[in-house]
Amino acid sequence: MKVVSRALRGVREHVRTQIVSVATVALALFCLATAALAAQNLGEVSRRWGGPVRMTVYLSDGATAEQVESLRNALSALPEVSSARYVSPTESRALVAGDDRVMASASAELFPATVELSLVAGATDASRVEALAARVRRLGSVSDVETYQGITGQLQSFLSGGRTATLVFGVIVLLCAVAVVSNTVRLSLHARMREVEVLRLVGASPQYVRSPFLAEGALLGGGGAIVAVSVLAFVFFAMRGRLDATLGTALGMRPVFLSLPILAGFVLGGAGLGATGSALAVRRWLKV
Amino acid sequence: MGRPRIGAQFGRQFRPDGHFDRSAAHKPILVLDGVVKVFRADAPVLRRVDLTIERGEFVFVTGPSGAGKSTLLKLVYRSETVDEGRILFCGRDIARLTDDSVPFLRRNIGVVFQDFKLVPYWTVFENVAVALEVAGMPSRIIRSRVAMALERVGLAGRGEDLASVLSGGEQQRVAVARAIVNEPAIVLADEPTGNLDPVLALDILGLFEEVHESGTTVLFATHDRSLLEQAPQHRLIVIDDGRTIEARQGLRAVGGALDAQRHNRDADDAVSTARLPL
Repeated sequence: MKVVSRALRGVREHVRTQIVSVATVALALFCLATAALAAQNLGEVSRRWGGPVRMTVYLSDGATAEQVESLRNALSALPEVSSARYVSPTESRALVAGDDRVMASASAELFPATVELSLVAGATDASRVEALAARVRRLGSVSDVETYQGITGQLQSFLSGGRTATLVFGVIVLLCAVAVVSNTVRLSLHARMREVEVLRLVGASPQYVRSPFLAEGALLGGGGAIVAVSVLAFVFFAMRGRLDATLGTALGMRPVFLSLPILAGFVLGGAGLGATGSALAVRRWLKV
Repeated sequence: MGRPRIGAQFGRQFRPDGHFDRSAAHKPILVLDGVVKVFRADAPVLRRVDLTIERGEFVFVTGPSGAGKSTLLKLVYRSETVDEGRILFCGRDIARLTDDSVPFLRRNIGVVFQDFKLVPYWTVFENVAVALEVAGMPSRIIRSRVAMALERVGLAGRGEDLASVLSGGEQQRVAVARAIVNEPAIVLADEPTGNLDPVLALDILGLFEEVHESGTTVLFATHDRSLLEQAPQHRLIVIDDGRTIEARQGLRAVGGALDAQRHNRDADDAVSTARLPL
């Protein structure tokens, strides 16, 4: 406790420098927290849309109702399939046309009859989907099979790129935060050289001299992290209504904020970063 | 008497083996034995200095600027280390102390400097209390000890003042209070009156006299002749050209002391040490 009170005394004595550095660390960590938030929601998108969860089986022209029913039953019996729904040409037209009157007036024969398959959760990896498609193609009355692998592959690639960019950005931001704290503590060290000299003179142990500077760094980092997540939470919840409308329509999901364990980890991580930056400065600049 | 000396308690702590040596109480408090300190190879600051200081002595160390007075004191509180020879403090060779033990040594030594070395943004109380805080003393004891120390130096009731608002003389009194608050075995003063006018200088000398009268050993480095003349009863060591000479007992005594010190030195060295500034 005494270490913290000595660190706080140091913070109070150079309050302007400390405010500037907390703000700088907060800015860096705000960027990092934003990236973490984006990564978390991209992960959610990836889980929802990243895997081929459905498959469309196009039926041959002239397939009879019995053949279609037989095929649907065969498809339903496959272990990878959770449901198989027949979509008639008329239904296909209605789905595609929507409110478009011209399209709605087109002949139903222009639209192929399909069986829409929903896949079970464990069967959505690319190799199993491809194997399933090959088996379905061999069945009678099947004209073609669409696995949507191209679209999901592109989405996965986009999400993977996003995650990599977030990671690289995060590492850069972390290094910046460490450098900011390190330089702040260095300034603090120079400003308090007389204090250090006096402590050494009266017989303070090296640990006694160093500890408040390490605590000061941890306070800076932790304080910066708290400010960063508070600002991010404010911005997120202020914009949530708009985000819900946009993302809900586009992706069919609601954006989520960082969970409490992640927030706690963020603050602790900020404190750890601060202590690390401080330790670097102390090691480099404080000879005791 | 009554109160045990804090210095005696810490004395056992700075010993690497952790055991209290009872015989140390009967030994000289400080012995310099053939001490050599060299910063530049062609001009050693101290050349085989031999010096013994008994417990309770008040010793002036004087000599021209650059003669090695401050270096001698720095060697005693281990801000510098000897190149040759030994320095025995309470019977222990401080040159052999590990770095971890140096803080414990310093808790037994009070040091006062010409530039006060106070933290300007700390209060008077904090500047004095720091000498006890580093030893982990309970705050209740710290409060009472600091109050007593401030009273001894004539600053009772000034504990809440910032050090930066004090006059030079008052700042030096705070520095003295810090040096004596943990009742160290010895107080080292490195030109403590150098930044003060003559009246204040005498005032501060009087303070050290009082500290000495309470039984503390004082090693007082100064080049101010007027101060030396004010306290002729005290032992006087002259440092010149890297060597120490007992000066107060007169030149013949000085010669005898030098003979005793020089039995291992060459004749050229002996001639050069006969030049006395006083």
